[in-house]
Amino acid sequence: MADDKDVLRDVWFGRIPTCFTLNPDEVTEREAEAYYLLLPRVSYLPVVTDKVKKHFLKVMRPEDVEEMWFEYEGTPLKWHYPIGVLFDLHASNTVLPWNITVHFKNFPDQDLLHCPSNSIVEAHFMSSIKEADSLKHKSQVVNDMQKKDHKQLWMGLQNDKFDQFWAMNRKLMEYPTEDGGFRYIPFRIYQTLSDRPFIQKLFRPVSPDCNAHTLGDLLKEMYPDALTNDGEQKRYQVLIHGIEPLLETPLQWLSEHLSHPDNFLHICVVPVPTD
Amino acid sequence: MSCSVLDEQQFRQGCQLLLQRSDQLGDGWSWEAVQGSEEGYLRKTARRSVPSDWGPLHDQEGFSFHPQTLCDSTGHEKEEQDPAASTGSDFLSAEEQDDGSYTVTDSSSRVVQYEYHILFSCSYGAPVLYFRAFTLEGKSLALEEMWSTIHPNYRLRLQNCPLSAISQQEHPLLGQPFFFLHPCRTEEFMGLVLQAVQDQGRPVNYVLSWLSVVGPVVGLDVPLQYCTPLHSAVSLNSTKPD
Repeated sequence: MADDKDVLRDVWFGRIPTCFTLNPDEVTEREAEAYYLLLPRVSYLPVVTDKVKKHFLKVMRPEDVEEMWFEYEGTPLKWHYPIGVLFDLHASNTVLPWNITVHFKNFPDQDLLHCPSNSIVEAHFMSSIKEADSLKHKSQVVNDMQKKDHKQLWMGLQNDKFDQFWAMNRKLMEYPTEDGGFRYIPFRIYQTLSDRPFIQKLFRPVSPDCNAHTLGDLLKEMYPDALTNDGEQKRYQVLIHGIEPLLETPLQWLSEHLSHPDNFLHICVVPVPTD
Repeated sequence: MSCSVLDEQQFRQGCQLLLQRSDQLGDGWSWEAVQGSEEGYLRKTARRSVPSDWGPLHDQEGFSFHPQTLCDSTGHEKEEQDPAASTGSDFLSAEEQDDGSYTVTDSSSRVVQYEYHILFSCSYGAPVLYFRAFTLEGKSLALEEMWSTIHPNYRLRLQNCPLSAISQQEHPLLGQPFFFLHPCRTEEFMGLVLQAVQDQGRPVNYVLSWLSVVGPVVGLDVPLQYCTPLHSAVSLNSTKPD
């Protein structure tokens, strides 16, 4: 059986081959070539696309350049979601590379948050970590950390430094042995065909009679439609980091090993491909 | 179990009480339910006149001007000024004098349309205020413009406590960008409020108390009439005393 620590590395180093193309309506001085990049699943678009921006700015005049934003098949991509979540939600069953269109004008401010600098991404990231710890430990662990410890979490993510990140993050994954797990599991369930952006509610990792709750238990409570009943054809895939974990997997284990660096379990429920 | 943490049912109860009072006072709050569930949020729209020259963050010398809060979009008893007058020539604004004080003069200012939502955060066990603002032409305000509509005294306070700062966030039920006040400090200050009230043995509506603290920061007034006993309900715009 693979060591659990290997799972942490596999999650951290997951990549998505992506092809960035400039929106044809942008004003350019000459034709822009597509730009190819391997995107880290666990990071965020603004953090890893500096090279993309530089590449396309070479063919544009400064006066035609406003805030950069990304779109996939007409859908503006929410930069504050981890990259892997965006891919699993919008493009999981399509042929690679993932084709993303780059825009420099007409920022859709009814759909996307603004991102003027990396410090905004850092603020969102830290806000998620704090929220996750509020659920797991009533914020005690994150509040006991010093400012430099918080910084280490962010810098580890920004600079793709697994060891630096986990040296600090392991503290957020601890719990009193007698409790059997965290107080509540930080999770978000994303659906493709809903107005509601995600489902997030309180859910304990252990039942009152001390049984470990599973992924299946979570879905049964939060989104029963995602599950297939006996004799039915499977309608949905339940994806975490692009894979379908067994529904019997204990939720506490998933939270410790398959959470994103923001300490949330991001779960995408997408329709099974019909081809 | 800390008394300064709320659960979802208590939140809904607090909202319903607030809603009843709002209906009596004509204050314009409504409950928006999430399809097919008990979940939902409180919503209110309101217009404010904001001086055009409150200026950017660092201009803060001896302010004395307070924004006019006009009545809301439900159309109840409008005040003398017509909120639809977007050219603003009826509204007052402040001009800086040489000695750094401000005088109120007649000149144009902006009318801003606000939308406020009160949601429940299960992660923090607290209500959270989401809001956004538009010009009357329908253009949404960006973060810097939003800052310029906040009274300079509040700006100082928010700057000193970045965790309570205003930032953009995705609305958890609608998915659209809103501004919000971060809830991670709510338990702290509500703990103090609740302690003081409970020491006096008075009942308290958590949601109402919380709103009266955070609302004014973003231009949302919570009139004192919310706290007067139910039997003496008086409309907000009535001139008759209680």
